[in-house]
Amino acid sequence: MIQTLAFYLFAALVIASAVMVIMARNPVHSVLWLILAFFNAAGLMVLVGAEFIAALLLIVYVGAVAVLFLFVVMMLDIDFAELRAGFVKNFPLGIAIALVLAAELIFGIGAYQAGQLELGVASGVAAPALDASNTASIGAVLYRDYVFLFEAAGIILLVAMVGAIVLTHRRTENARGQQDISRQVRRNPDEATVMKQPEVGRGVDL
Amino acid sequence: MTEFFQSLGLTYEWAWGLATIAGILLIALPLMLSVAMVIYVDRKVWAAINLRRGPNVVGPFGLLQSFADGLKVFLQETIIPSAANKGIFILAPIVTFTVALAAWAVVPFSATAVLADINIGLLYILAISSLSVYGVVMSGWASNSKYPFFSAMRAAAQMISYEVSIGFILVCVVLFAGTFNLNDIVRAQEGFGLGVINAYGIHPLLFPMWVMFFISCLAETQRVPFDLTEAESELVAGYQTEYSSMSFALFWLGEYANILLMCILNALLFWGGWLPPIDWAPLYYVPGIVWLLLKTFFFFFMFSWVMATVPRYRYDQLMRLGWKVFLPISLGFVVVISGYLMATGHFG
Amino acid sequence: MDYATSFYFTATEIGLSLCGLALLLVAGWQGNKSARMVTIISVAALFGAAIFSIGLFDRATGEVAGRAFGDLYRADAFGSFAKVLIYVAAAAVLIVTPRFFERIDAYRAEYPVLMLFNAVGMGMMVSATDLMTLYIGLEMSSLSSYVLASFLRNDERSSEAGLKYFVLGALASGIILYGVSLVYGFTGSTNYAGIRAAFEASFSTGALFGVVFVLAGLAFKISAVPFHMWTPDVYEGAPTPVTAFFASAPKVAAMGMLLRMAMDPFGGEADAWRQIVIFAALASIVVGALGAIGQQNLKRLLAYSSINNVGFIMIGLAAATPGGVAGALTYLAIYVAMTIGSFTALLMLRAPDGTNLETFADISGLSTKRPALAWSLLALMFSLAGIPPLFGFWGKFVVFQAAVQADLVALAAIGIAASVIGAFYYLKFIKVMFFDEPTREVEATSPVSHWVVLGICVAIMSPLGYLLTVPLGEWTAQAAASFVAAM
Repeated sequence: MIQTLAFYLFAALVIASAVMVIMARNPVHSVLWLILAFFNAAGLMVLVGAEFIAALLLIVYVGAVAVLFLFVVMMLDIDFAELRAGFVKNFPLGIAIALVLAAELIFGIGAYQAGQLELGVASGVAAPALDASNTASIGAVLYRDYVFLFEAAGIILLVAMVGAIVLTHRRTENARGQQDISRQVRRNPDEATVMKQPEVGRGVDL
Repeated sequence: MTEFFQSLGLTYEWAWGLATIAGILLIALPLMLSVAMVIYVDRKVWAAINLRRGPNVVGPFGLLQSFADGLKVFLQETIIPSAANKGIFILAPIVTFTVALAAWAVVPFSATAVLADINIGLLYILAISSLSVYGVVMSGWASNSKYPFFSAMRAAAQMISYEVSIGFILVCVVLFAGTFNLNDIVRAQEGFGLGVINAYGIHPLLFPMWVMFFISCLAETQRVPFDLTEAESELVAGYQTEYSSMSFALFWLGEYANILLMCILNALLFWGGWLPPIDWAPLYYVPGIVWLLLKTFFFFFMFSWVMATVPRYRYDQLMRLGWKVFLPISLGFVVVISGYLMATGHFG
Repeated sequence: MDYATSFYFTATEIGLSLCGLALLLVAGWQGNKSARMVTIISVAALFGAAIFSIGLFDRATGEVAGRAFGDLYRADAFGSFAKVLIYVAAAAVLIVTPRFFERIDAYRAEYPVLMLFNAVGMGMMVSATDLMTLYIGLEMSSLSSYVLASFLRNDERSSEAGLKYFVLGALASGIILYGVSLVYGFTGSTNYAGIRAAFEASFSTGALFGVVFVLAGLAFKISAVPFHMWTPDVYEGAPTPVTAFFASAPKVAAMGMLLRMAMDPFGGEADAWRQIVIFAALASIVVGALGAIGQQNLKRLLAYSSINNVGFIMIGLAAATPGGVAGALTYLAIYVAMTIGSFTALLMLRAPDGTNLETFADISGLSTKRPALAWSLLALMFSLAGIPPLFGFWGKFVVFQAAVQADLVALAAIGIAASVIGAFYYLKFIKVMFFDEPTREVEATSPVSHWVVLGICVAIMSPLGYLLTVPLGEWTAQAAASFVAAM
């Protein structure tokens, strides 16, 4: 009972906030709605017993990706009139794509109703639940069965990093605010200060 | 507690619901009270280090100072700047405060006193604490004013930077404990050090991790020397500049609740949580919560101590420390610790 | 799962990755001083990987059939054939690359490293027997391609090309993922064998949608019409060596991936996707031929030429027979040699001050100044047009033969007709190079490395190439047979 209620609550909120992401005029509002959508998606994950995925969804998407999104969007100066003009121009195309996707969804639901949508293995028999916690089972699958793909995904991230650095990093000589910590620490009063006893009425020569 | 309500003749569902609400109140109310007292302690510690007296007028030894401040703030008018984005402006302090409270749901005050003893407790805390940046960013943006906006930018970059190394440090602890459950992490520390000391922090591989964790906690809660988001010499009061009355108080309460959470995490993850410091039977007669609060209080003292003695970092220094020092070191320790645990047959 | 066997079968990917990681460290510490050395080692590694793949060609058809990591990956004759093409093409491009960038002091040691990771991704693409391996390989290759396209970051056109490629490529990845999710939803498996089994049991409309989406996304990656719009812009804007790369190795990888997908998991439902492939093939041939006519920029022209050639390769796929696959593979091999030759010749066309020449006006009267280069270009262009004495004709002949054998006579006829239109713009080369008055000064010498690459490509394209028909026929037949073995 409470699960059903929670499911419909989370699902309705995901959809509503997803709609608001595109409906909101202000891009910052869009991002905030997106965060709400992530949140409710995490709620759905908890409901199906995938609490590890739910936590990761929050940590990665809400905690890092969306913050950076917000970071960029906040600094944008967007011309809304122009944005809406583009919207009108592309409206028919958007509608067409939306119709196709809607048809897809209906097919999906239809198949689900017919009882064909059984996830897991090819024969349609769902994968047996492992006798271990969520985290442990994901770890086992990730590092045993899919270790090849896991490592390859790591290389993809490396490529992304190398790419970002190659395209944006410019080596500047003598950058402002450069600081050599060890030199700073090595300095002692003897080499940094001088004691002078100036005579009255005369300045100090350094 | 559910059993207690069931014994009053309620069905399981109602009993569970009531028990949860009671549990939330049992955590939230003392927490608010201790936040008030901790603000007083904070001010007293700074005063002592600065050779001043600190608050000493309201109540005996000034003990009621925080309550007087709270009353004052409560009676003030809430001002919303006309150029502000109203909805988000009001939402921001609420988010900060709610998030600061939500993390406490999984904190084990003793072996049994925990509201939600979930498997992924540590991940939950990490997830929730990564949300606290939204309060700052939203308030900074919604204020529609220069200084709060700078502050929001700084907060977003700063918190993401330090969360990365906090994540790696926590992975080290999790590697030793083999679980994300906070209670199990505490139990795993029983007799960890030479069979007598109940703490991860004394292990030569984990002690440096704890030092880094403590410093990252300072950055994560935006305390001195990393309080660039509210650097008063540059940004007036940072993201709080445009706030007044209760909305300002919510920020204040949320901030200290977060600080307390970080202190309690230090105790739980590295220094034995609700276990007594030494694995010696008579010490177990003292209730676990006493040990936990003593440890937490000690770490809070350290927070105040740092605040009173260390000057503020420059922003590029902050970023340098996070990305060029903490990140490589913590990543290296993850590798070293996993190797060490494999070599010593820790995983069996 | 036996790790030793798995490592053996994936040795090219693992070896190239490790080599890339080590070279990345070298690049990080030594900076751009080491760019030359890193390039040389990368070329050596790519050749090593190619030789290892040749070694796997026969070995992998044994009792384990090249399966690695629990059938996520299969090192069979098909994969080996495609990988040899990919690695050799990547190595050839790397050989002719440094001069181009060094002239404007823009060469960096990360370039060959990105190429190596790109090759790893492409290897995974052609060997993938699981949708997840496919996607990861695709992303690894695409991501490094985006960076390579905008490698001249101070050049507006290069940045624009990178951005366009990135945005549209990400869209294509999204389409593929959407299709993959549908296929997984309707079959309950991401494994090719599992999908095939599930499709044989029942093939619903929803699953058809999934197949169509996957194929559409893949069509994007091979720049088949109607998903070709990005190609001319990206090819024109990207630095010329990168364009040479885009037109060769990733085409082989994407085409190999498409062939394997169509023949293995979707092989039982050939009727469902054949019409799409026929349409894409014909549209590509026609659009490629017509679009090229008005072009003044040679890189843009070669972009349309590659669209056109992809159409011919897809005719082989449309046949959906082992003969068709073998034909497509033969065409791919010849196409790679032609493309790399053409772009190398383009790289050798320089003004005396070192700037690149890339329009028709620049090559007018080339035969009087650089006769050898002009004749090489002539051979390559005739070969691209499929004019008989040259080897390019053989590729077209093989795919048309396969189409006719599969009773697709109309398709073959239209294809032949369109290739006549296509011949027009290749002939324009001859007119401009041999009969027009020279207008521009052209640099008189070219580096030996360029001559070597160009020489090999031209030798393959010359009638001498027909010596290769017998071994090429055997290899491609064996490669195509690996699908039958997997079924």
